Amino acid sequence: MKAKVGVYVCECGPNISEKVDIDKILETLPGLEEYREIELVVKRFGLLCSGDGKTFLEDEINNNGLTHLVLGACSPRDHDKTFIGVCKKTSLNPFLYKIINIREHCAWIISDKDKATEKAITYIRAGINRVLFQSALLEKKLDINPDVLIIGGGIAGMEAALSLAARDRTVYLVEKDDHLGGKAVLLGGLLPRQGGGPAKIREKIESVLGNDMIKVYLESELEGVIGFLGNFEVIVGSPGDEEKKDLKVGAIIVATGSGLADPAILEGLDYSKTDEVITSMDAERMFSKEGKISLKSGGDPKSVALIHCVGREEKGYCSRICCNYMIKIAGYLKDQSADMKVTEFHRGLCLPDKADQGFQKEAEGRGVEFKRVRELTITGTNVRYEGMDGKSEGLKFDMVILAPALEPSEGTEGMADLLGVPLSESGYYQEIHQTTNPVATSIEGVFVVGAAHSPKGITDSMLFAQASAGKILSQLIPGGKITPEIKVSEILEAYCTGCGNCLDVCVYGAIYYDEGRGISVVNEAVCRGCGNCFGSCPSGALRTKHFTNTQLYEEMREAIR
Amino acid sequence: MQEKMENQELDQFKPKIVGFLCNWCTYAAADLAGSSKMEIDPALTVIRVMCSSRVDHNLVLTTFFSGADGVLIAGCHPGDCHYGAGNYYARRRYALLKKVMESLGLESERLKLSWISAAEGNRYAEVVNSFSEKIRQLGPNPINKMSGL
Repeated sequence: MKAKVGVYVCECGPNISEKVDIDKILETLPGLEEYREIELVVKRFGLLCSGDGKTFLEDEINNNGLTHLVLGACSPRDHDKTFIGVCKKTSLNPFLYKIINIREHCAWIISDKDKATEKAITYIRAGINRVLFQSALLEKKLDINPDVLIIGGGIAGMEAALSLAARDRTVYLVEKDDHLGGKAVLLGGLLPRQGGGPAKIREKIESVLGNDMIKVYLESELEGVIGFLGNFEVIVGSPGDEEKKDLKVGAIIVATGSGLADPAILEGLDYSKTDEVITSMDAERMFSKEGKISLKSGGDPKSVALIHCVGREEKGYCSRICCNYMIKIAGYLKDQSADMKVTEFHRGLCLPDKADQGFQKEAEGRGVEFKRVRELTITGTNVRYEGMDGKSEGLKFDMVILAPALEPSEGTEGMADLLGVPLSESGYYQEIHQTTNPVATSIEGVFVVGAAHSPKGITDSMLFAQASAGKILSQLIPGGKITPEIKVSEILEAYCTGCGNCLDVCVYGAIYYDEGRGISVVNEAVCRGCGNCFGSCPSGALRTKHFTNTQLYEEMREAIR
Repeated sequence: MQEKMENQELDQFKPKIVGFLCNWCTYAAADLAGSSKMEIDPALTVIRVMCSSRVDHNLVLTTFFSGADGVLIAGCHPGDCHYGAGNYYARRRYALLKKVMESLGLESERLKLSWISAAEGNRYAEVVNSFSEKIRQLGPNPINKMSGL
């Protein structure tokens, strides 16, 4: 059967009609009929995206029995969806239609009308040639599971769990320690006034434990995961326990928190735990348990040095929260004894939130000294530093408290591997976009929140957790269905040698090796259709649906004819 | 005399350039250049691909063997790839392709890789116009001369 291609050129008001000679296009195109052995229906219309235009196209498809549809109009970014909608109302498969952008790519950029017309003809011919080689593709709809797995029972994980449970989602909260609350519950107090701080975290723990929709698995870890947005199957196990739990969820939130860099590895610091040099976390624990900070040798310190930015240079990023909590720790010390000499050594203060500067001024008012330094070495409790004026000085303290850089928590690499989420250069999980899509990852349905995402305090951790819950509540609606990407890659079994190149280049982990058949296989529900695997295939086994070689070659050949 | 003829040939030379643009960044930049009514050289014909990483060696070489005088591959800036890292793969393939082209006797300047974000309509126009000019200077694809096309 001869293909019957409908070609309709949109005037787009004066936008196309004044810049391009549409009648000339209509006269020229029929020349293709013989050359391609096709039948063409060629017409112009005022505004194809209007209600009238859509009805016109629908009638044209039905009355002419079109096998393919080509529109010379605007950018697919503007109206591809509009015309896919028109096709869906008819028997024409939307993948047998193509919109050709003769507005942005001809009419508006070429002021010479003859040249613009010539170019538009080239584009439309290339489009007709491509559409002839396009294949009808069918959408598949999949049921979704609205339940959620959360890895990590710290403040971020708990907040996400509570937000989701409030909308009747079943949440599986997996925590590797024997308690909930993560780092936050270990602190001596919360900003800005220590009062009632950790008690607030404990309240949250109680809310989580008392919520029927949240199933908490303590001393448990994620051991396996397969699937995709709406349909993940995960295995949760505990070390030493043979029995594994198989859970089905629609989304996964990673809230594994952050660790503290070990100051012992850093140059210029003489750090050992038997000394009077301790970390900020040691100080928080001491304050939390005993209500004060004491020397290891007994008694109260009379002078304390607080060292900021420990490991910032080595890590290559600012940990965001240390300046604030070091000022908080100075507050503990001043509460303990107003006469205590407290000196903060910093490399430039990071005080980003609205109350932070006031908090720092208040500390200064209480006699806390802030020294900005260029270089600093610590020997025992002696601090030797080079100030901003270039002068070096040494000071002796009773005690030194370090603010080590935050770093990805232990096990991040293994977890990233398991989930297929890439890590950024800093070692933290890579989000889709730092500025515009910070909680989502390249694996659809897997979100990263809290300090697992990047150094964060409690407030930001909770905000990220709430954001992820919002995304999940709007993406996974109970009883709803999702339509996975159709324009995905496929591997032709007959050609595949199982070399595994495509597995290595796929950033989504959408390709797996089938040992039984000795070939690589695309998980179509996970593939997003970028086509990167195509270039890695040495045997021609890969095909990128709707962007096949034949389709691109035919479009290209006509474009340069 | 001969020089004069060559000049005439050059005057008549209408380069054919194919631009493989990624859907998310550079295709959007081309749209922006269009809606900003910038004047762009008609030598280039745009072919939309989902990601610059889809533009493999065969596609580029086939485009040259089919007679194109130049090929532009353009996608998102490093770190901004819609698919995470596709543009890094595109960059590696491009580096290798340049060498392959030289060994085939094709000037490697006929192939260009650019990062143009969705907001850089200006840059898109500059890249296309300067690349078209460059191809005009280079003259027709030697493959066309050889095959007498």
